[in-house]
Amino acid sequence: MNRFIKLTFVCSMLFTAYSCTDLDEVLEDELTTEFSDDGVVVIEGATDGGILPSGTLTPAYNRLRNGSAGHGSYYSAQEVSSDEMALGQKGGDWFDGGIWLRMHRHTFDSSNGTFNNIWNDAYGGIGEVNLALSGSLSPSEEAQAKTLRAFFYWRLLDNFGRVKIITTAGGDAPQATSQQVFDFVESELLGVLGIGAVTSSLDLSGSALGTAAEPYIVGQYAALGLLAKLYLNAEVYTGTARYQEADWAATYIIDNGPYQLCADGCTVQNLAKRPAVASDPDNLEGYAAVFAPNNQFNPEMIWSIRYDAVSATGMNFSQMNFHYSTQLTYALDQQPWNGYQVVEEFYNSYEANDKRKTANFLVGPQLDFGGNALLDFAADDPDLQLNYTPAINELEPNSLRESGARAAKFSFQLFGRQEMNNDYPIFRLGQVHLLRAEARSRAAGDWSLSLPDVNALRDRAGVAALSSIDAAGFLAERGREMFQESSRRTDQIRFGTFDDSWWEKTNSDAFRSVFPIPQAQIDASSGSLTQNPGY
Amino acid sequence: MKFNLLKQLMFFGIMLCSSVMLAQTVTGTVTSNDGPLPGVSVIVKGTSNGASTDFDGKYSIDNVASDAVLVFSSIGYTTKEVPVNGQSTVDVKLEEDAQALDEVVVVGYGSTTRKEVTTAVTSVGEEDFNKGVIADATQLLQGKVAGLTIYNKGGNPNSNATIRLRGISTVGGNTEPLVVIDGVLGQSLSNVDPSDIENITVLKDGSAAAIYGTRGSSGVILVTTKSGKNGQPFNVSYNGQFSVASIGNQIDVMDRATFLATGGTDLGADTDWIDEVTRNAVSKVHNIAAVGGTESANYRVSANFRDTEGILIGSGFDQFNVRTKLSGKMLNDKLKIDFNSSLTQRDSDFGFNEALRYAVLYNPTAPILGADAPFAFNADQFGGFFETLGLFDSFNPVSIAKQNKNYGTRNILNYSLDFRYSFTDDLSANLSFGEQNEKNTNRQYYPVTSFFRGNAVSPFRKGRADFFTNEIRNKTLELFATYNKSISDNFILKVTGGYSWQETDYNEYFLQLGDFPPGVNFDFSDNIEVSQDLLEAGRVVANSGRNDDDRIIAFFARANATINDAIYLNASIRREGSSRFGEDEQWGIFPAAAIGADLNKFLDLDNVNLLKARLGYGVTGAIPPGVGLSQTTFGVTNGSNGFGSSSTGLGSRKANPALKWEEKRELNLGFEFETDRLSATLDLYNRDIVDFITNVNIDAAANDGFTSQFQNGGELNTKGIELSLNYDIVKNDKLTYNSGIIFSSYKTILEKNTGGDRTTANLGAPGQNSTNVILVREGEEVGQIWGPVFSGDVDANGTPILVDVNGDGNLVTDQGSALNDDVDFKVLGKGIPDFELSWTHSLTYGNWDANVLFRGAFGHSLVNAFRAFYEPRIGSQSSYNFINTSLARNDIRTAQFSSYYVEKADFVRLDNLSIGYNFDVNNDYIKNIRVSLTGQNLFTITDYTGADPEPALQDFGAVDNGGNLGQANVLAPGVDRRYNYFASRVITLGLNINF
Repeated sequence: MNRFIKLTFVCSMLFTAYSCTDLDEVLEDELTTEFSDDGVVVIEGATDGGILPSGTLTPAYNRLRNGSAGHGSYYSAQEVSSDEMALGQKGGDWFDGGIWLRMHRHTFDSSNGTFNNIWNDAYGGIGEVNLALSGSLSPSEEAQAKTLRAFFYWRLLDNFGRVKIITTAGGDAPQATSQQVFDFVESELLGVLGIGAVTSSLDLSGSALGTAAEPYIVGQYAALGLLAKLYLNAEVYTGTARYQEADWAATYIIDNGPYQLCADGCTVQNLAKRPAVASDPDNLEGYAAVFAPNNQFNPEMIWSIRYDAVSATGMNFSQMNFHYSTQLTYALDQQPWNGYQVVEEFYNSYEANDKRKTANFLVGPQLDFGGNALLDFAADDPDLQLNYTPAINELEPNSLRESGARAAKFSFQLFGRQEMNNDYPIFRLGQVHLLRAEARSRAAGDWSLSLPDVNALRDRAGVAALSSIDAAGFLAERGREMFQESSRRTDQIRFGTFDDSWWEKTNSDAFRSVFPIPQAQIDASSGSLTQNPGY
Repeated sequence: MKFNLLKQLMFFGIMLCSSVMLAQTVTGTVTSNDGPLPGVSVIVKGTSNGASTDFDGKYSIDNVASDAVLVFSSIGYTTKEVPVNGQSTVDVKLEEDAQALDEVVVVGYGSTTRKEVTTAVTSVGEEDFNKGVIADATQLLQGKVAGLTIYNKGGNPNSNATIRLRGISTVGGNTEPLVVIDGVLGQSLSNVDPSDIENITVLKDGSAAAIYGTRGSSGVILVTTKSGKNGQPFNVSYNGQFSVASIGNQIDVMDRATFLATGGTDLGADTDWIDEVTRNAVSKVHNIAAVGGTESANYRVSANFRDTEGILIGSGFDQFNVRTKLSGKMLNDKLKIDFNSSLTQRDSDFGFNEALRYAVLYNPTAPILGADAPFAFNADQFGGFFETLGLFDSFNPVSIAKQNKNYGTRNILNYSLDFRYSFTDDLSANLSFGEQNEKNTNRQYYPVTSFFRGNAVSPFRKGRADFFTNEIRNKTLELFATYNKSISDNFILKVTGGYSWQETDYNEYFLQLGDFPPGVNFDFSDNIEVSQDLLEAGRVVANSGRNDDDRIIAFFARANATINDAIYLNASIRREGSSRFGEDEQWGIFPAAAIGADLNKFLDLDNVNLLKARLGYGVTGAIPPGVGLSQTTFGVTNGSNGFGSSSTGLGSRKANPALKWEEKRELNLGFEFETDRLSATLDLYNRDIVDFITNVNIDAAANDGFTSQFQNGGELNTKGIELSLNYDIVKNDKLTYNSGIIFSSYKTILEKNTGGDRTTANLGAPGQNSTNVILVREGEEVGQIWGPVFSGDVDANGTPILVDVNGDGNLVTDQGSALNDDVDFKVLGKGIPDFELSWTHSLTYGNWDANVLFRGAFGHSLVNAFRAFYEPRIGSQSSYNFINTSLARNDIRTAQFSSYYVEKADFVRLDNLSIGYNFDVNNDYIKNIRVSLTGQNLFTITDYTGADPEPALQDFGAVDNGGNLGQANVLAPGVDRRYNYFASRVITLGLNINF
């Protein structure tokens, strides 16, 4: 889109009715301002990184987007209840009845609308799957639908534990135990993979699921990834460890899947490069490329949620994370909300030269689109330039507006809309390496077994290989890799640090490893849902 | 009664029309016991020749046959016929008509007399209407009808008032009363100019409204427009008004010096933003009406022009309205035909209420123009205006008001045709047909340089144009017959029965697009083809909707019996069906019965004209707020960018085929007492609303992932009392002074609520989302403000210390625990007043007259949202202005909702003061001239620190950062939001000339 074409067009339009004599001057002037778009490439929505789901399953797949990368549902609860992120009260801003302070401090209760949204988003997906399953589907579609449903139930299991298992459209069922939900998810996944159990030598020839690298379609590797994650957390869900099976499942993906880590040489164009800012890189490489707005063909993706600013909306990180003024850095459509801040301790867990640190955070003094200082007229200090400080003075009541590094892993693009284009991974190869490393170590009781996988990821990140590692070290490494991927809460629970104290969070209630059943659901359920213990 | 008179007149007219006699001029004076009587109609019987008496009671008629008979008539006096007998002077004295009780009262599908009324009905005539410039006809009644609440918070000339009759009548159904204009249902009150209205009758209780079945739940307002009279001479009148409105009250904010002293950020200028976006608004109204009549027909034609300005710059409207009323008789007077039509065209500049909101919270040291900024500022980008970049929810109010456009046109055309055929003296039938077309075309335009919604900071996608058009077509067909028979001297029976059919067709479309060329000062909403949004996927917002054949069909019957002219019985039934309900639940039955007895007929008390007791019970219904709620919806999913496959999946709303009528059952006990000087009416009522329609959260797991559904979800009970008193304190030749009091009080309890207890009315951003301030709890009163209690002390952080209300040593004040037993919240006030009172005075002295209306509401509170957000001295908010009411405390530095922001809002207001003088002109061209001066909203006595203490009866949700208002929530009264228009004070000069 060339500005000249625009202006010529306008001028010819106006010639018919208006004298255009001094219009040219104005336009010339406009072209010389800092907002010239010479050399800027505007991406018109994302192209798709593969085959889209079949029509019948489109509504069910679309439900994956709900709450997975926006404010107020699954993503928010996973991130803010963990030690990754917080939503500080910034004076008059972001108090919101204290629900986010309570989410971070683990004093949340059942009426917090976030939980209701998680619940509704999951059952909305399950409803669509059940509706699709009640029609006629090909064996492949049926297997995909069941995998999707198993995924939604896994989320419910991980967040709430005791939920209703509904498998038919219009059906109802009593509230199941965590064990029953676990068993259901496991048997559904084993069913679609055509196996009776995960073993060291898997034969998936009986599965109707595909094996191609199509990240928008759940295939065998996606189902196995989910099974590996389920087994890795089995001890938390049911009290019975299943690490060996998790190891086998993850190993099968790594050994047989058509995926590779996106490392050196794996690049995409940097859509956030400002013409006037020389220090903006032309391209994003390696880890940063995996999460970029144009990440749709990334070789690491096993299963991703397709987001698109136009046709697949729901990712709003630029709005949620940025200070209001950062709109002018990227020339965004909408003013951001100045919300999510990265907990300082988490930010500091990265080594200085870790490429993931650069990719994952926006910190320091900020520049605008034209490369000038980005101004914040409501600055708390006399310096008008916006400066994101890793240190956050306090969680409430006056968390400084510029405090906290801002999550930027799912990176941005110039002229971005409120909706973003980045695809959001459910499973990617890097994560599977971590799954295998941990499962193998836990199965054998020896954390050094995780080193090959861990070091493969560290190598990509440009940091030195580790020679030894323990549980805490592994969790930290996992955190650095999986930041912003809705993984931290589950990981902290598994490693037993979810009830620990950090920063302003001191509550140590063990029962909070599952969220409360949403009060709105209990109220509407005519007594068929009961609250989780402790709430 | 008047009707009979006309009939007689015409009868004699036909008899006499063949007589040819000598013509002469007759003059004379008409008097009553109180002296000369102005305004008496004097007509030569059987002709259209006539005149009215002037202010000295004098009249003069030319061309009067020497054997003619003059008919003298005036409302409130017995009509007198006097033969001329060749005299040139005929003086007449008229007797007061003691039969005011026979005054005709319009009720549904017919009329009755005042004494026969068995239900709670209040009728207000033109002489009692509120004076001054009134753009919205309902405001004629503000403070005049007990139990009828009309609030137009702030008085934006483009917004309609919220009307409530006896409190909340429905939760999810339609909340506005049904309007019937000259007997025709479903026509818009917006199409009636207030100056054309002769009388408004309000059917208050269920037994009165049940004949209208649906939509009667929120009450029925029957409007009678002015008309001509048979035999009336041609007459033209002019009525003009000129008014000036100014800000009545505003919330206090800081000026530059105070702001800086409080730690505000200095941007170098000194701007009174409120002053910049408001003005003294000048409005002009002209009404011209012509009336006349022959012996068999009459007409009235009026044209009304209004040019109204709002106190917000750039707001107001121009309106043109013309109304025609024709009535005639034919077929030996057996067939009467009425034809009414009206056309309204209104061009509105809605302006931006947001300009008022941001004027309150904008930095008082900020300059208006960017050129005056204390630092380098690229003002060209913002059309030369300054903007505080980097702030959430902060826009230069002057730029909002001056750069953007928000305007619309409304066209309404309607007509109705009524045929009434009298088969015999006892039996008549009516057929009426009416149609109304309404079209609204609204546009908003935000130029490329507007920061507010115009995206001026975006380097490329600047500017925005919105287009909204809807069209509503209404058709009504009604057929009914009336049988009226005196069975014996003591027993009169009247039976009415009929059929009613209404259909509404609706369609709308909306278009929003932007990305207009920068650097060109041109309104691109007239040239949207240059929008670059057309070239980019997903940029253009376009949607359209249509629902046709939204029908209501009804059969109805009513019987009235009068026994011994002392006992009055009334029963009605309506069976009604609406296409909005589930297939098996479309029909409902709405019965009513009432009895009234004039006890004085038995007691025969001295000096008492009437002592009536009446008891009525009636059932009315309410329909859902939209069509299709009982039906299944489908969501259509498109493939990517229009490619790929499409599919239908679950829709957004769970169908409810069992959705049925919401019913209101109301019992009303009333007493009426009247002497020559005192009249009093007392009504007590109990109403139960059962199966109210509301959107209920449902168990998502058991409902395929649907989260809500429209259900018949609960019950409300309202008990109330209404009293009106009127007393003629002085009544003599020179001076009359009448004073009246209208009192009403009610209490509404949420008896049952399927949706479960909850809190509602989210305060909003910044920072107070998930902060619901109104409690909805089964078994409790509607409209309780709910929250933590401020102790009066503040901690070191500037955070208010809250009170451990239940004293358990554990302070629980998070919103998430709002409904828990251990929460330290309490009821901080109530949104609905305990009682409302108005006090009227009406005074005449010679040619002078004066009317005064004091109005007040007591016992209600308001959440002062401006204070809750912007009064705390928050350091990081130092670029917003601070609210600085008398309650402001510099030590509070954290914004958190508490009892501190809930204020009692009792008030007394001098709502209307009007003084008029009638000039005796009496020349050949002008009969009389009246000049009046009216003040509206002259002063308010209240402790409330916000702009307007009027109750907020419903809530439209939190709005911020340029968003739009939500749906009305009637369960959340009591929140004074940040988007209300400022209250205005209006002074009006009126001129009335009769030619």
